[in-house]
Amino acid sequence: MGKDGSSFFFTTMLEETAKWAQKNSLWPMTFGTSCCGIEMMSTISSTYDLARFGAEVVRFSPRQADLLIVAGTITTKMAPVLRTIYDQMLEPKWVIAMGACSSSGGIFDTYSVLQGIDEIMPVDVYVPGCPPIPEGLIHAILHLQKQIDKSLERKPAEKPTFEDSQNAMSYRKSVDGVKANFIITPEYVNEQKNLRGEK
Amino acid sequence: MKTSSVSPNAKYLATQMALTEYLKTQFGTGRKIELDNFEEVIVWAKDPADAKRCVKDFMTDKNIQMDFLSDLTAYDNKDGEDGDKRFVLVYQLFSRTFHTRIRLKCLLDENESALTIVDLFAGANWLEREVYDMFGIDFKGHPNLRRIMMDERFTGHPLRKEYPMKQREPFKDNIRLHLGANEDK
Amino acid sequence: MENQQQDLYNPNVLINIGPNHPATHGTLRVMCRINGEVIEDANCEIGYLHRAIEKLGEEKTYHQWMVYTDRLNYCSALNNNITYAMTVENLMKISPTDRCMYIRVVCMELSRIIDHIVCIAANALDLGAMTVFFLLIHWREEAYTMIESMCGMRLTTTYARIGGMSYDLPDGFAQRLKKFCDEIPKAIDEIEGLLTGNRIWIDRTKNVGVITKEDCAQFSVTGPCARASGIDMDLRRDRPYYIYPELDFDVVVGSGGDVYDRYLVRMEEMRQSVRILKQCNEKMPNGPLWVDDKRVLIPNKLDVYTKMEVLIHHFKIFMEGIDVPKGEAYTCTEGPNGEVGFYIVSRGGPKAWRIRVKSPSFTHFQVFEKTIKGGKIPDAIAHLGSVNIIAGELDR
Repeated sequence: MGKDGSSFFFTTMLEETAKWAQKNSLWPMTFGTSCCGIEMMSTISSTYDLARFGAEVVRFSPRQADLLIVAGTITTKMAPVLRTIYDQMLEPKWVIAMGACSSSGGIFDTYSVLQGIDEIMPVDVYVPGCPPIPEGLIHAILHLQKQIDKSLERKPAEKPTFEDSQNAMSYRKSVDGVKANFIITPEYVNEQKNLRGEK
Repeated sequence: MKTSSVSPNAKYLATQMALTEYLKTQFGTGRKIELDNFEEVIVWAKDPADAKRCVKDFMTDKNIQMDFLSDLTAYDNKDGEDGDKRFVLVYQLFSRTFHTRIRLKCLLDENESALTIVDLFAGANWLEREVYDMFGIDFKGHPNLRRIMMDERFTGHPLRKEYPMKQREPFKDNIRLHLGANEDK
Repeated sequence: MENQQQDLYNPNVLINIGPNHPATHGTLRVMCRINGEVIEDANCEIGYLHRAIEKLGEEKTYHQWMVYTDRLNYCSALNNNITYAMTVENLMKISPTDRCMYIRVVCMELSRIIDHIVCIAANALDLGAMTVFFLLIHWREEAYTMIESMCGMRLTTTYARIGGMSYDLPDGFAQRLKKFCDEIPKAIDEIEGLLTGNRIWIDRTKNVGVITKEDCAQFSVTGPCARASGIDMDLRRDRPYYIYPELDFDVVVGSGGDVYDRYLVRMEEMRQSVRILKQCNEKMPNGPLWVDDKRVLIPNKLDVYTKMEVLIHHFKIFMEGIDVPKGEAYTCTEGPNGEVGFYIVSRGGPKAWRIRVKSPSFTHFQVFEKTIKGGKIPDAIAHLGSVNIIAGELDR
């Protein structure tokens, strides 16, 4: 580092080369659960070829991939599986939340669906759509490439940490035997309705 | 590989109408037989044992031959419109020879258990597990009655009317899977 | 004990073909106990995509729930939409117009073609034939373009409405459909040339994953899987609905019940679907699309924006919901995968009391659990691909 804070030519070139190599060869680990998985299949195949953006090899093993594309609804039963796969990936890794269901639960606000994967892992790019058309996913990958361009040194995600993710997936949080963090009971629903003056 | 060409088979309608009359004469004593909105026949069994007997009779009767179990489900009768008991168990039967349909219903109380039909139709195994998971209806004689859709540690039965829509119970890990006799492996 | 004496090394290796696996189409889990490569015991676990669609049926109005029907069998969403609309129309004793019936049959056959494309492409991809996958998916994109011109969306269409369809066919659709019907048989022939006589494909798929006729009856298997096992059952011919009695098509029945037969049945069914599409294209009547029933008729947008009563009518249909009489109905159609059925119990009013989805994949997966015991792991993978398990339909 020079006196005015600027980097030397050699280290900058090295960083730039590393960034260029990383962003142009993102190997995705496709985690396709439901309908978005079919659109992801369409993106990877011949008409909307994802391989021209560097995703040449679609690796089904987390240890050999650096981009996790979560396409589809993640239920509470599937959440530990997803977290395990995320933990098995090596740094540096990026996550794309494809579709409405993985961004925020989508149209399913029910008793078994995780309302967005950002409860259990840090997400880089969210792609809206139900399902997003293949051009949407390609736009997301290009956006991610621009993000990588800005900084290779990713700020470690502050939230959610590993403990946060385990807490989000667990109900045994407190010691005095309370079952869930918060249980929505019919009484609570009626109370809220009264407060809003609906009843 | 042989192909069989189409034949205008609207005669299933006549067989379906005739089936209602036949059921009223043969099986109508003590059981209510009615038609639904689509003119298909519904048979109300008296109790769970009677329901199983009906399924067996429908299978073996030469004029009915219901050899296909399309569906096995239940619904919550909380407002009491279909009878004074809590749940209604629904069997949907289909005949491959006559192409007719029968819906068999049975009223169940909250703690009453139904009889399993796994010995008649092996495919009822998972269907009954799903009914147990969603409603809490116990099936006597089922070889493997445990939850199928939800995690096995889940409490509550989601499709009951009083279960709130958004009450989530997440778990940190996945449960070990029973594998036949080796339950501890 | 004898097992362990025969094989000195402990045979109890547990392998988990887990919820996330390239060969599992969707999220399902098969836990196997293997001895060498032979699967001795298998247990399947589902529920990894349980999204509570049936409970949502009790909370949403009939039109609002139409959206969820796409997400059941997402490879052939049009079929689910139409079956659901058919069920509610049966509940209300409404019969759609001629033009509506023809358009619905066109949609159902088109979705049958694309579902079979996905099944064969994914099956071939699992067994290593990547060329087949890339060649076939191109035709799925062509079909997507046609579907997008009809209703605006490629995959999750929500095209049918109760009493009609949301949009009429666009201009020039007849020519596009004709072009599609002329070109796709050549593609099917190309794939047949690649796979049907291929020594490797035959070795991998013949006598693999045999579902016997007795298993089909016991486990209530329907659709191409049952027909490949020799059971001659097709709801389009046996309990015909809409205009199927007037159409001329063959029902394809196999004999072996193995993966090879299911592949052949699907290829031939695609050809028969093209035949049906050609006939529908020629006979398509010009007439009203919507049924003339005040309870469900969604009025023309131009009238909605200019006339007061029509605006109120439109508002009531979408805000309150349509008023369905008390009763129940079970309607099923011959979907690409088997018998897709909807059982709706209604206590009157705009929301259903109970909606039950009868999905073919549920029963097919149960048969899968039984048939892979005794086979090898690669055979199980080939079998899984051919049975076409769609996780959205399996778990609902």
